[in-house]
Amino acid sequence: MSYAYLFKYIIIGDTGVGKSCLLLQFTDKRFQPVHDLTIGVEFGARMITIDSKQIKLQIWDTAGQEAFRSITRSYYRGAAGALLVYDITRRETFNHLTTWLDDARQHSNSNMVIMLIGNKSDLESRREVKKEEGEAFAREHGLVFMETSAKTAANVEEAFINTAKEIYEKIQEGVFDINNEANGIKIGPQHSPTNPSLPGTGGAGGSQGSGCC
Amino acid sequence: MEYFRSGLKSVFGGTSFWKPTDGTRNERLVSRVSTSTLLEDRRDACRALKALSKKYRLEVGAQGMDVLRQVLELDRNDPDIVGYCLDTLCNVTSKEIFEEEGENDINMKVNVGEQFTEMFLKNSENITLVLSFLEEYDFRVRWPAVKLLTSLIDSKPKEIQDIILVSPMGVSKLMDLLLENREVIRNSALILLINLTKSNANIQKIVAFENAFDRLFDIIKEEGGTDGGIVVEDCLLLMLNLLKNNTSNINFFKEGSYIQKLAPMFILPPNLEEIGWSPQKISNFHCLLELIRTLVSPNNPVQIITACQKTMRNTDLLEALCNILMASGVPADILTETINTVGEVIRGNLTNQEYFANVLAPSNPPRPAIVVLLMSMVNEKQPFTLRCAVLYCFECFLFKNEIGQELVIQTLLPSNAGNTTLTTGQLLCSGLFSNDYLSNWFSAVALSHCLIENPAQKEQLLRVLLATNLGAQPHTSKLQAKLGILMLLANWMAYCPPAVKIFLNVPGAMAFLTAQTSASEYDNNEELLQGLCAFVMGLCVAFNDNSVPNYSKENLSQLIEKRVTTETYSKKLGEMSRHEVYAKAAKQPQIRAKHSSELLLEFEFCKLFKVLEGVIIQALGIQRDLSNGISELSLSERENALLLQYKELIREQDKKLQELQKISTISRRKIKN
Repeated sequence: MSYAYLFKYIIIGDTGVGKSCLLLQFTDKRFQPVHDLTIGVEFGARMITIDSKQIKLQIWDTAGQEAFRSITRSYYRGAAGALLVYDITRRETFNHLTTWLDDARQHSNSNMVIMLIGNKSDLESRREVKKEEGEAFAREHGLVFMETSAKTAANVEEAFINTAKEIYEKIQEGVFDINNEANGIKIGPQHSPTNPSLPGTGGAGGSQGSGCC
Repeated sequence: MEYFRSGLKSVFGGTSFWKPTDGTRNERLVSRVSTSTLLEDRRDACRALKALSKKYRLEVGAQGMDVLRQVLELDRNDPDIVGYCLDTLCNVTSKEIFEEEGENDINMKVNVGEQFTEMFLKNSENITLVLSFLEEYDFRVRWPAVKLLTSLIDSKPKEIQDIILVSPMGVSKLMDLLLENREVIRNSALILLINLTKSNANIQKIVAFENAFDRLFDIIKEEGGTDGGIVVEDCLLLMLNLLKNNTSNINFFKEGSYIQKLAPMFILPPNLEEIGWSPQKISNFHCLLELIRTLVSPNNPVQIITACQKTMRNTDLLEALCNILMASGVPADILTETINTVGEVIRGNLTNQEYFANVLAPSNPPRPAIVVLLMSMVNEKQPFTLRCAVLYCFECFLFKNEIGQELVIQTLLPSNAGNTTLTTGQLLCSGLFSNDYLSNWFSAVALSHCLIENPAQKEQLLRVLLATNLGAQPHTSKLQAKLGILMLLANWMAYCPPAVKIFLNVPGAMAFLTAQTSASEYDNNEELLQGLCAFVMGLCVAFNDNSVPNYSKENLSQLIEKRVTTETYSKKLGEMSRHEVYAKAAKQPQIRAKHSSELLLEFEFCKLFKVLEGVIIQALGIQRDLSNGISELSLSERENALLLQYKELIREQDKKLQELQKISTISRRKIKN
């Protein structure tokens, strides 16, 4: 499918905060209560529409465990957006945000859009981190903030789409150098000026086929 | 230094490899590098060390490694000296044995290069240091750095992978090399990445994340596509490394619309017959086909296979592959591999299977491609691997394809007798009764795939008189022909009592099975035949509707017990699944036989065997219990006893509960009052 832009995302945060479930909810619209531990990194993709433009999101879901931290670092540089996730029912995942943020800021390009996400908002009774605390942290560090539930799908679409909107706005403002793919942004094939159409696709292949059979 | 030298002597047995003059010269050079305050001086010394590093690799490495490392850090701004150092390290750690050190036999006994590599890798900072030189644009630095890394990965891939994975931006620095405009660096980087990505999923994913596929498709295009040279092949090999067994990357490849980029590469130029296939083009094509098969490999998750298959149809890739099948002048090994590839692109995908069924060969009169392929399968003059490929492709066409199965069986039904055109059914029939035992095996297996999980076709096939010419019969003196026919029978009779009934009515059938199953001696894979006979016998018990008076379930069980004995029977059945031929065949759907003698068991049959082995044992077990006087009734009586016990328990508890409730209501009333 053709797209106007392609954005690369990464999802980061402590182990067990629901990163893989957020991705699954976003790409497949389903929730899997028991999810295997992510080893290294897993890939997912979906198309969204912003400003009536098709935008392809390529998302790399990283492993939260400490052992994979150095692998995760390899993904910062090439990403346009990051979802930094904590679990509202586990205070320590909120406490670790600074470490994650430092790591991200140190290894990513300075324009990377970071969205702070407090996940598991459906578990209100077990809440340990107030919504206001998340908001305050986001305000302090210049992040966008949202509480989501990968289980009920609440705000999941919004989290991914709002991040994309933010990146899109930065492109419009000319902040991102869209010709540098290292920023995690690609212009779609039909929008790129330097893409002579490949010979033999579509019609050409079809005509040859009919001639042969 | 004297200490070091004596140490080395003791390690290498004190042979007289040490020439005093060169040795002192070497020592002098090393000390000059480490102590001289003048850059020019150090540079000259490094250049001289480099010159000595092949012939006197042991000395240079043992004495110089630490010094060279220091220079790399301290003099990193001088391209020349860095280049000399990197080159020297490259020579010292190389796996290769240089001509210059020929007379030295130490290298034959101990791999010096490997030992120095280990020394160098002890400090992982060293690799980070070398990686940092990749960022230096100067050819004198970047090129030797690439060479050194290539050589190190070559000898210690696992260690380097682990180090690069944790060095900051390690993979990114290597990936940037693919954008190099100096071809020698870019091409070396390709080889380096091929070795680096081997069986390491994490590195594969990072490389893919760093836009590897875009880079590689760009290079392929620049180099002339499939007509390009070895660099194109290297690009394809790297892609293969990134995708093999890496679901995440396959998903990325599919989502990144890269299949669309592959598709046009399969379109053969119209003048190909004139220009022919160069060896390089054949290699490139093999890689391309392998790439496709990696994406739709039966080992991948089903939803990925389905999605890739769909894209391959929509981008006309399937069409292009089918055109290759029907084109003339295609080298036999490419044709064989294309047949396998087409098979996996259509396997289990109804739309693709339908497309394939409608492909016509440009023959006169036009025949369906399937018919033309099957003609090759039952033709003993065709190459063996090609015949195997056709069978696999045909199996893939029938996999989860009820309509396809029905179409084949239909061509065998009596109403079609007047048809004069050559049909799939006729070809299979002629193969089944041919005097070429391989055709027997191929056809029997092909026919059995028309029946898998398809009860309707099993019964339809019963209507067919499977004989073409009078007196023609399979080449049953050959083991393989027998195995083929028995596997067909097994697939046919499983879950199909009418087939079992007809089989039991064939005179001599049971006698043959009994004789084979009870045989105590065998040679050369005959245990497979005996096991298969035992299995078919078991199917006669498990799927018996007791409609043949002499061969009811009970009769047959007794026959097995008395004539074969249960012990022998279980042994024969057990030998089957323990056999290495079975294990090999059960591994993957494709027949991976290198020689015709390896054509014995087949994947789908193994699957059936695995499922039904237990069923048969159970069926026989119950029957045995019956004859021992323990009826099914008594079994349930035992269960009944247990049930009664529980009922009693529940009744008691219920009674107690009621009593307690009574008491509680009484007490509550008392409180109220």
